[in-house]
Amino acid sequence: MRETVTTVPVLTCDRLTVAYAPAARPVLNDVSVGFATGRFTALVGPNGCGKSTLIKAIMGFLPHAQGEIALDGTALRNIPRRDLARRIAYLPQENHCPDHISLAELVELGGYARYSLFGGPDERDRSLFADALTTVGLEGLAARPVNDLSGGQRQRAWIAMILAQDTDIILLDEPVNHLDVHFQYSILDLLRALTRCGKTIVAVLHDLNLTAAFADDVVMMRDGRIFAQGRTADTISAESVRDVFDFDADVFARGGRLVCLPAHAPQAPA
Amino acid sequence: MNGRRYPAMAGILAIAIIAFIANLSFGASAMSPRSVVAALFAFDPDNYDHFVVLYQRLPRALIAVFLGAVMACGGAVLQGLTRNPLASPGILGVSSGAMLFVVIAAFLLDVPSQGQGVAAILGGFFGFLNCLLVTRLIVSSKEPHGLAFILSGAVLSMLHGAIANAIMLSSPSRRSDFLSWATGNINHVYVERLRDFWWLGALGLVMLLAMARPLTLITLGRDKAASAGVDVTRITWLSIGAVVVSVSVAVAICGPIGFVGLVTPHIVRPLVGASFRLALPANAVLGAAICLLADLAARSAFAPHVLNTGIMMDLLGGIVFAVIVKRYYLSTSERGAWR
Repeated sequence: MRETVTTVPVLTCDRLTVAYAPAARPVLNDVSVGFATGRFTALVGPNGCGKSTLIKAIMGFLPHAQGEIALDGTALRNIPRRDLARRIAYLPQENHCPDHISLAELVELGGYARYSLFGGPDERDRSLFADALTTVGLEGLAARPVNDLSGGQRQRAWIAMILAQDTDIILLDEPVNHLDVHFQYSILDLLRALTRCGKTIVAVLHDLNLTAAFADDVVMMRDGRIFAQGRTADTISAESVRDVFDFDADVFARGGRLVCLPAHAPQAPA
Repeated sequence: MNGRRYPAMAGILAIAIIAFIANLSFGASAMSPRSVVAALFAFDPDNYDHFVVLYQRLPRALIAVFLGAVMACGGAVLQGLTRNPLASPGILGVSSGAMLFVVIAAFLLDVPSQGQGVAAILGGFFGFLNCLLVTRLIVSSKEPHGLAFILSGAVLSMLHGAIANAIMLSSPSRRSDFLSWATGNINHVYVERLRDFWWLGALGLVMLLAMARPLTLITLGRDKAASAGVDVTRITWLSIGAVVVSVSVAVAICGPIGFVGLVTPHIVRPLVGASFRLALPANAVLGAAICLLADLAARSAFAPHVLNTGIMMDLLGGIVFAVIVKRYYLSTSERGAWR
């Protein structure tokens, strides 16, 4: 069904090795990976395997990175921050907003890379902001302070800010953590809908069932290396889950969708 | 909340205008607001009241406006950059560094008045960098966050002040000229420094205003700001430079008057929000109003004795400082804003 979508990688990492200090043990080791245009790629793996580090390295936040990261073939370190912000948006794992910033102000800041020195959002930007708020289901709350919103609303506020940035690539570090199941599904659904408009989504995910349900491609990581990458249906299997997570799982298709459950069901409570 | 912000802004502006007129009206002889306005817009050289307003009180009022605007914006920006509610130019070593260099220039190097203004700017940078250096020595983390930064600043401010006092004490014949300035005072004798250097302060404020959006983004976190297109390092140093220069000029004019920079941002935030595009103008206007009122109180509270504005400000500010510490550091129901 999605075979028509082009799969040329827009963002590539070539032999990326990253340490948090010059002499420290690398947290990413010789990682080569490409993210295809218009596809939703999930990064999965056990805690500490380097998923978040990979995203931070791509964003250029880690000074001790070796190897090449390229956007459309141009080395990322040669692209000024402002130009980069028009192409790639990033949602950190933890987001903190100071008190007394309204949702409307937060979303407006998302468009910063497009504004001139003393200028601000134009008509097109404003309709983009309204659309972003509608998309995440926060229309009508624009005047509310971000810190007065509930946890789920706050996470959606940050996603609205990223939509306001209007980039063709979005990197998200555990975007559905701390959300209830309803919003986990609605946010991932939203991200997948964005790929249909040609946007490229890369998200760190923990839940293999959510990954199987929403991601086109999956990159499985372990100990700072890439263990497997490919189409989700071809890559997630009982074997790969065991090798990556040290976890015995039953992986089977149900209703055309991959399901991953523990092979040894825990003892039911008495 | 957004809807309340512009009325709040208008209210702050109205308070500032009233404070300005009141500051010009009251003094050794009170006069009506009408004659104050007449003195400003239809000056009659033969009218003694007009003369007092224009040549005695207006310079003081303008100094108060400059001081308040510069200190309050400086405090707001430093609090945002360090994500610490106690940050202010008076606490991070800027004011005391500027004061120390002015004293060194005047007492040890016999630099004339205008050169002392330049010394103040150099001293402001010296004081702030000193504060950064000491913080780096104490904590290994590279980000100048948190209490270590504030404590280094507070201790260094005392050290700078002590050295400046020692130098002044060593020269009894001249120290009385500087004593009032060194405790922080608004006095029309230094108005020529305002005339010479006001544009530097104004330039600093315009620079900060131009950086309002990236500065607000930095308060969301450095990585978040960078991903939205902010050159975090450049904006940080440009804005600190703008704050240091404009605050140092204020110190050259009125000595180290601190608390307005600490307190004003805390009043502004709940009223017009933490987004700097509105908060910076609001800080400038409210800071000016607070300085005008403090100057008025200093002149009239113990009339006919005139109190130093700096002492008045310290009295008020000390109380507010305690309230801020209690709210942000001792409260158990702390919100996520300043972590």
